[in-house]
Amino acid sequence: MTVDFAPQLLEDTPIGPTAGGLYRRQNVWTGLAAGILLGFVAYLISHATLEGSNWGTDMVVTVTMVGWVVGFNLGVGTFNAPLRWALGHDQTYDDELYAAGVGQGKKRYYKFCTDHKVVGTQYLVLVVVLFGIGGTLAMMMRTQLISPHSSFLSANAYNAIVSIHGMCMIIATIIMVTGPFTNFIMPIMIGAKDMAFPRLNAMSFWVVVSAIPPLLATFVLGGVDAGWTTYAPLSVQAPPAMDAFAITMIVFVISVTVSGVNTIVTIFTMRAKGMTLGRLPIFTWASLVGAALSIYAMPALLIAFTSMITDRVTGTSFFVAGQGGTGWLWENAFWIFGHPEVYIILIPPVGAMLEVASTFARKPLFGYKVTVAGFVAIAALSIMVWAHHMFTTGWAPELAGPFMVTTEIISIPTGIIFLCLIGTIWKGRIWTRLPMYFVYLFLWNFIIGGVTGIYLSDTPADEYFHGDMFVTAHFHYTLLGGAMIAATAGLCYWFPKITGKMLNERIGKTAFWLIAIGIQVTYFGMFWEGFEGMPRRVAFYDPIFQHANDMATGGAYLLMLGWLVLLYAGIESLRHCRTAPANPWHSKTLEWKVPTPVPLVNFLVDPVVTSDPYGYGEPDQVEPVVIPPPDPDRELVPNLSSDKPLARGDE
Amino acid sequence: MSSDQPVTDDPPVLPQGDSIIPTRPFFSRPIGKIFIIWFLMTTVGVLIGIFAPHHLMPTFLTHEGTDVWRTMVLFTILAAPVAAVVYAVAAYSLVGWRHRGNQDEPPPDDGPPLRGNSTVTAIWLGTSTVLVLILLAWGLTVYSAEDVSHANTLQINVTGQQWLWTFQYPGTGVNTRTLVLPVNRPVQFNVTSVDVTHGFWPAALGVQVDANPGVVTVIRATPDKLGTFTVRCSQLCGLYHSFMYAPGSVVTSAKFSQWLQSQGASTTAAEAAAFVKK
Repeated sequence: MTVDFAPQLLEDTPIGPTAGGLYRRQNVWTGLAAGILLGFVAYLISHATLEGSNWGTDMVVTVTMVGWVVGFNLGVGTFNAPLRWALGHDQTYDDELYAAGVGQGKKRYYKFCTDHKVVGTQYLVLVVVLFGIGGTLAMMMRTQLISPHSSFLSANAYNAIVSIHGMCMIIATIIMVTGPFTNFIMPIMIGAKDMAFPRLNAMSFWVVVSAIPPLLATFVLGGVDAGWTTYAPLSVQAPPAMDAFAITMIVFVISVTVSGVNTIVTIFTMRAKGMTLGRLPIFTWASLVGAALSIYAMPALLIAFTSMITDRVTGTSFFVAGQGGTGWLWENAFWIFGHPEVYIILIPPVGAMLEVASTFARKPLFGYKVTVAGFVAIAALSIMVWAHHMFTTGWAPELAGPFMVTTEIISIPTGIIFLCLIGTIWKGRIWTRLPMYFVYLFLWNFIIGGVTGIYLSDTPADEYFHGDMFVTAHFHYTLLGGAMIAATAGLCYWFPKITGKMLNERIGKTAFWLIAIGIQVTYFGMFWEGFEGMPRRVAFYDPIFQHANDMATGGAYLLMLGWLVLLYAGIESLRHCRTAPANPWHSKTLEWKVPTPVPLVNFLVDPVVTSDPYGYGEPDQVEPVVIPPPDPDRELVPNLSSDKPLARGDE
Repeated sequence: MSSDQPVTDDPPVLPQGDSIIPTRPFFSRPIGKIFIIWFLMTTVGVLIGIFAPHHLMPTFLTHEGTDVWRTMVLFTILAAPVAAVVYAVAAYSLVGWRHRGNQDEPPPDDGPPLRGNSTVTAIWLGTSTVLVLILLAWGLTVYSAEDVSHANTLQINVTGQQWLWTFQYPGTGVNTRTLVLPVNRPVQFNVTSVDVTHGFWPAALGVQVDANPGVVTVIRATPDKLGTFTVRCSQLCGLYHSFMYAPGSVVTSAKFSQWLQSQGASTTAAEAAAFVKK
């Protein structure tokens, strides 16, 4: 059976009228409407039945938020396919094509669309929005800290902003690479026509979208005053905002887990012919390791926040001292998630950045296998280091030594990343385009983040620095200066492939310098605060910390300006700049072998991979990919939920 | 130097016929220039390590705090050469190996296809392992030395609550909002909380432990200098976390005894607590 449309035009091709009804009318607006409606109904019912009981308000908030999440996902179409299947009639072939975005033009970006490129683009926009929210909150904090007793924010507002800035940025950084790039780029990189589970892929996006309004609703529900780590028992006593926060986290865990399973299965089952594990691009390995780690880490967070909700709503006492519970249980559960989490954030961007380094140094990746082993070793060790966040809690002092050992050992595989990076740069032909700028910035920042991490891993030193601004500066150097800058390198690198436009590098380089200098000024200011002994998360501080805070606040404005200029560069490029060629960087990975913009059917013919994509400068240079001649009888199907032939309606 | 001219510090090749081994002096070769950058950066790093903690951190009043300062100095001195290797190669690459000319086009030729080097990798891994072992030996030694209880330890019960600290001196009946310690006498803080988790952090003493409700956590320190400090809360504990601090000072035994009496302790109890010999 041949489909007789040109695959490049697939997204504009009219689709047969055989199926439809409600399904074809769903988009983000119906999702919003259904979410608000169901949330409101849930509110009315729970309010009528539960208000006035012991834990009434918490129950009402929880039920309302669950109503919103379920309603939004029903309205946007997340559950369409499973619901139909449960009702006894599966999706028709046309439904599948419709879900893949055929015949909807730009409208498919506002819908539940199973095309991995649409999902990747949607994620990219979401990540930018989340960084915008988190960045605005950060600027409010820095503005408050402009003087020791500023009245810009109240103490309660400051605490709420501290908490939501933290969690908003954590959510954004967890999905900043696994969302846009693992979804958009990675399947093309391995020669797949889509992710293994396209519907789950779309689900992972829309579920995380539904998690954001509860996060922001915390501001009107009294504010989360316990920080992003929401240590019990403070969080058990917190205002109803905490219930919405917990719902956000539970829903987010579902999204990340689904997306992680999808990534793993895709990499193991969807590779093109000849794409052996030894030829996988390093970014694919990084995505795989990050996804595997998230499968390990996320359940701990799910259990922690579920127990938190039951403590608050139904009166259990997992975390309540004196009733059999303990705050240490929360701290353990949280950090069993929390430390692997920083590597879930870090490893995928580092993989993306190594792709950039190899391309712009015009050299093969140095020590490919050692680097992959390094990623795996980091992941394995990272599940054994969580209690270094608890050196000063008083929990199990005898374990401080062992956890110091595992924490410091992790610097050995982390060092391999630097070996790989400088080995790749060594004697290269350094092509200084914008993505490469960010690689060098990563290198600069991540060394500082790494070295300051070693001080903190030393228990006696941590007994001074724990809970002060030094820690804040350290993890911003690793997560912002390291992971986020590496992700920005990846963004500048893949921008032409994703958008079809070249990024305006003149504006981009202005942004780069603002960001680079902004990071150093801001976080050296925070190191200074930390050395002097200023605690974290304080809205008011001792005037002796004034100068350090001036430095950090000034740098933060510079940094925010830098990000805004980069955003402007992106918008300006989308509107004015020249169209991108298919392979502007003369790179060898597979995603650059497909046309730009990428057609709905990634590959007209299945590619055959003959070597890894790092053959720069090799004498017997063979093209790493063989594209066989098109097969006229091959059915060009964009991406369906399974490889099995689908029943075509009544035919 | 131009990027497209073949680099001249390739590994020495065996002479074949009339070919010659490159004979340029060490410091005009890339490796020599990288060495110079490395040396300068290491020097800067070591100087930062020696001076920055000293100038930026408060004067520590205990030997535990002095250990924090020593750790900062030692770790920075150990880290500086390693970080400088990465920085030196990166800095040199931007000058020596940069693609000059039209940046719109990729470099006309690719770099050498170095896919790895087991010797370099082994040296890298070996060096980092040795450094980690040094750090661990230092850290574990310092940590185990801190965790020793002495015979003449002064016990102080510390209670955190939203948003103030209370210090109780057992045996004297003194219960205050000010932490006063005698110099050169080991002190053990028995820390707890009546509501949420707080962080007991007398910064200049260089120690810290959380105050958890329902649990008593213990931290020890021995003040060895006179001075004042501030006890802060290091765990976000609710609305007025910022204002949860208490003044503290380290005084001589005689003054400590006087202070205890001024707080209502009997002379006998105060002198016993302060170890003042008659």
